[in-house]
Amino acid sequence: MFDVHEMEVNFGPQHPSTHGVLRVILKIDGERIIEAKPIIGYLHRGTEKLFEHMSYPQCIPHTDRMDYVASATNNLGFVETVEKLMGITGQIPKRAQLMRVVLSELQRMSSHLLWLATHAIDIGAMTPFFYCFREREQILDLFEEYCGARLTLNCMRIGGMPDDVTPQWIDDVERFNEKFDAAIDEYESLLTNNRIWKRRTVGIGVISPEEAIDWGITGPPLRGSGVEWDLRKAMPYECYPELEFDVPIGKNGDTYDRYLVRMEEMRQSRRIIHQALPMLRATTPGDIKAKISRVIRPPEGEVYHSIESPKGELGYYIVSDGKSQMAYRCHVRPPSFVNLQALPAMAKGHLVSDLVALIGTIDIVLGEVDR
Amino acid sequence: MNPWMLYLVWPLIKFLIAFVIVQVIVAAMNWIERRVLGLIQARLGPNRVGPWGLLQIVADPIKFLLKEDIVPSSAEKIAYFLGPMLPLVPAFIVFCLIPFGPPPTFAVTHTNVGLLLILALTSTGVYGIILGGWASNNKYSLMGGLRSAAQMVSYEVPFGLSIVGVLMLCGSLDLVHIINYQAHHVWNVFPQLIAAFIFFVSMNAENNRTPFDLPEAESELVAGYHTEYSAMKFAFFMLAEYSAMLVNCCLMVSLFLGGWTLAIGGYGLTTATLKSMGFMGGLLGTVIFVVKVMTFMMIYIWFRATFPRFRFDQLMDLGWKWMIPLALINIFVTGIVVLAAPEMIINGSVVPVGETILAVAGAATVALTLFLIMKPRAHAPKVIHASRVSEA
Amino acid sequence: MQVEYPKHKWTDKFLLLDMFEGLKTTFRELWKPKVTIRYPEERMEPSDRFRGMFRFSFDRCIACKLCAIACPIDIIYIDVHDETLEQPDGKKKKVKVLDRYDIDVKRCMFCSLCEEACPTKPKSIWLTTKTYELATYDRGDLYFNMQQLEYWDERPEYPGLPDEDAPPLAPGLVAANRQLSGGAK
Repeated sequence: MFDVHEMEVNFGPQHPSTHGVLRVILKIDGERIIEAKPIIGYLHRGTEKLFEHMSYPQCIPHTDRMDYVASATNNLGFVETVEKLMGITGQIPKRAQLMRVVLSELQRMSSHLLWLATHAIDIGAMTPFFYCFREREQILDLFEEYCGARLTLNCMRIGGMPDDVTPQWIDDVERFNEKFDAAIDEYESLLTNNRIWKRRTVGIGVISPEEAIDWGITGPPLRGSGVEWDLRKAMPYECYPELEFDVPIGKNGDTYDRYLVRMEEMRQSRRIIHQALPMLRATTPGDIKAKISRVIRPPEGEVYHSIESPKGELGYYIVSDGKSQMAYRCHVRPPSFVNLQALPAMAKGHLVSDLVALIGTIDIVLGEVDR
Repeated sequence: MNPWMLYLVWPLIKFLIAFVIVQVIVAAMNWIERRVLGLIQARLGPNRVGPWGLLQIVADPIKFLLKEDIVPSSAEKIAYFLGPMLPLVPAFIVFCLIPFGPPPTFAVTHTNVGLLLILALTSTGVYGIILGGWASNNKYSLMGGLRSAAQMVSYEVPFGLSIVGVLMLCGSLDLVHIINYQAHHVWNVFPQLIAAFIFFVSMNAENNRTPFDLPEAESELVAGYHTEYSAMKFAFFMLAEYSAMLVNCCLMVSLFLGGWTLAIGGYGLTTATLKSMGFMGGLLGTVIFVVKVMTFMMIYIWFRATFPRFRFDQLMDLGWKWMIPLALINIFVTGIVVLAAPEMIINGSVVPVGETILAVAGAATVALTLFLIMKPRAHAPKVIHASRVSEA
Repeated sequence: MQVEYPKHKWTDKFLLLDMFEGLKTTFRELWKPKVTIRYPEERMEPSDRFRGMFRFSFDRCIACKLCAIACPIDIIYIDVHDETLEQPDGKKKKVKVLDRYDIDVKRCMFCSLCEEACPTKPKSIWLTTKTYELATYDRGDLYFNMQQLEYWDERPEYPGLPDEDAPPLAPGLVAANRQLSGGAK
């Protein structure tokens, strides 16, 4: 069974750095990992099954609870899928589209901030954690100002948005946006050049572009490997084509590159918001909902639609029987779940300390992995 | 004076005073560290108990004493109980060897091999950690204990080697002599800049402080060797750790920063000047010493707030491949310079040329570093960042 | 777009300048204002749209049950019976009378779909009460019936909170902390 040198360690589900309830069974030789086996399902709530028993608008609050640090993008993915099923994607007013873009980019920032905070504290730098949360708190304040909730936003509706934004809110977002670049510079001053940070991340968990594609990895881990694939560019939705932004890619596919890619993504999100706000001001206030009936009963059919969530490709697959107000079947393709599958391959041969860095770098949220 | 008084009673009284003061500092360090760490991290730190949260110093021990003391059923009982005690004892004994002020009044004992004794005693602290880690019967504890052992063994070597340069300059293992020597020449940190750096890094590693806090790396090993310890046993580990930190800071100050003196080339507050002021002078010296020590304690906290953690193999790498060769080079260079350029008589006074050369080189490096730190980084305002192009 | 890798000069490597960069940042932060809100002496004022505790208005409610239908987790319990009222002019009119309007707040996820579904103007169930101190010592206390939902102001205060009229618990402490935090807020 075991070599005399080998030892089995239960890493999680109650461990400070498993980001929730991930359990990894490690077979280690000294500190070197021979085998890492992630065990998931501790947070399974049957969300997909729940979707079959409630009407489409009722599903939206439940999507919040999958990737609970990025609920706006979860909402966005779901409502867009239903809109696509109903064939009303083109009818969404411009103002609603821009609001969706701004919200989901803010969400991307906040999700990446949370990722940076936890990733840094896993590697031992505890201070970026608090700085990141300071800025994240401001983003949550903005969410609260818009929709009344801070974390589980429930901020989008099929066919549009629930509330209109106030000019005051747009100003607040702009004020935050102006300061955000300096904040990123501050985090980078603590980490990017630091030699300890580099030693802990450069060359750790290298995924080649081919491997990344084979594993089905999406999002920043894929782009860190040098594959320029961002659904906002590749399969544009909402009004992303009108906005100018770059897709940052890495070269080496290691933890450090993924870190740089995410840092740059935050800057790009900032850039998108910077462009979107004047456009939002130019649209007519109040024009936030497409004219659809209150009861949502999509025609018979099935549809798959995916968006770029902060963690990767978030896809929803919905089958409608055309008769009821509920989905016949709803499947979610969560990015964290797919990205997590590469963990054993990435961890093999690294040290226990690196496993912590690797769990951090693939940026999993167990609510989304287990659904 | 009665030899009993001279060699037993007085040292005991002085030790008790020093012990109480040190314990207060150690307990206060807990509060200071949390508070400063909080202020650095955009929050406040403990501020609820008493004014500025100062009563936290009292509240924490009370909590530790009253908490349930859990002993894992599978633990090796004797070793488990010995674990927290072992590191505590040497950490306390060492304080009678450190001169806090001009001797004889402000030093508990005055041994001419004090430094050697201190090194010998502090390195025994690791036994408790290994024992505690092993006896807990927890894999994380075991890994923490082993990491600590390996770290301690690796860093004892550069720790000891870095002192050699100082010994070569001062020619004594007596801390009092070393401090007096610095007052009459220059702080050893300048001629022995590399040694001071190695000493500082090694003492961080010996005390398991960030960036070398691998044995208790909470994100990897939950809490390392003290995972299974609770209540007062955990407090013992913490006391030992903070005491060891204090000891090492005292050593750093004595060896490289002139101890209780504040003088260069014999000018300023030397031991003789302080002694001429009587008891108050001695007290002043102690205050200077404590201020210097606390500065280093603050640097510990500052480091903890700033740096990520090394990985285990990188730590070994740094110790064996960088610190030890560097220390050896330092010894070599110091030896050559001191031997090749011995003392010269300029204007009737004896000037140690070799040491002066080293001191100037060290001071120049410090000055250059400070200059480069103060200056904005060269590559910071590079071309406009891609994400800002649209606004430019 | 290829991400930029930091470039290092030899002085950076030799003099550990990359480490000092971080130390500089943390040192600067030490003197900056802090963001801690010292609850309960200081409380955050929620925004106008903040989704907090429910409030219900019996007078406005038309007993249409739309909120109960909209609720994703079915925690709104409504019982209605029809009653025939005799109008002053002798005509008989059928009205719905609300017998029960309970919300099991402990299961609520504050999505505000009920508020959105409510057809009356102004809404007869709304969450924008800016109340977020809902903790109780008993699970049962979080099951609210119609009267409690309408008049929950009288419910016992959470015992950990200071009196609203009373001065802060320790004025010196608050002032000292404020000074320490650089006079923020």
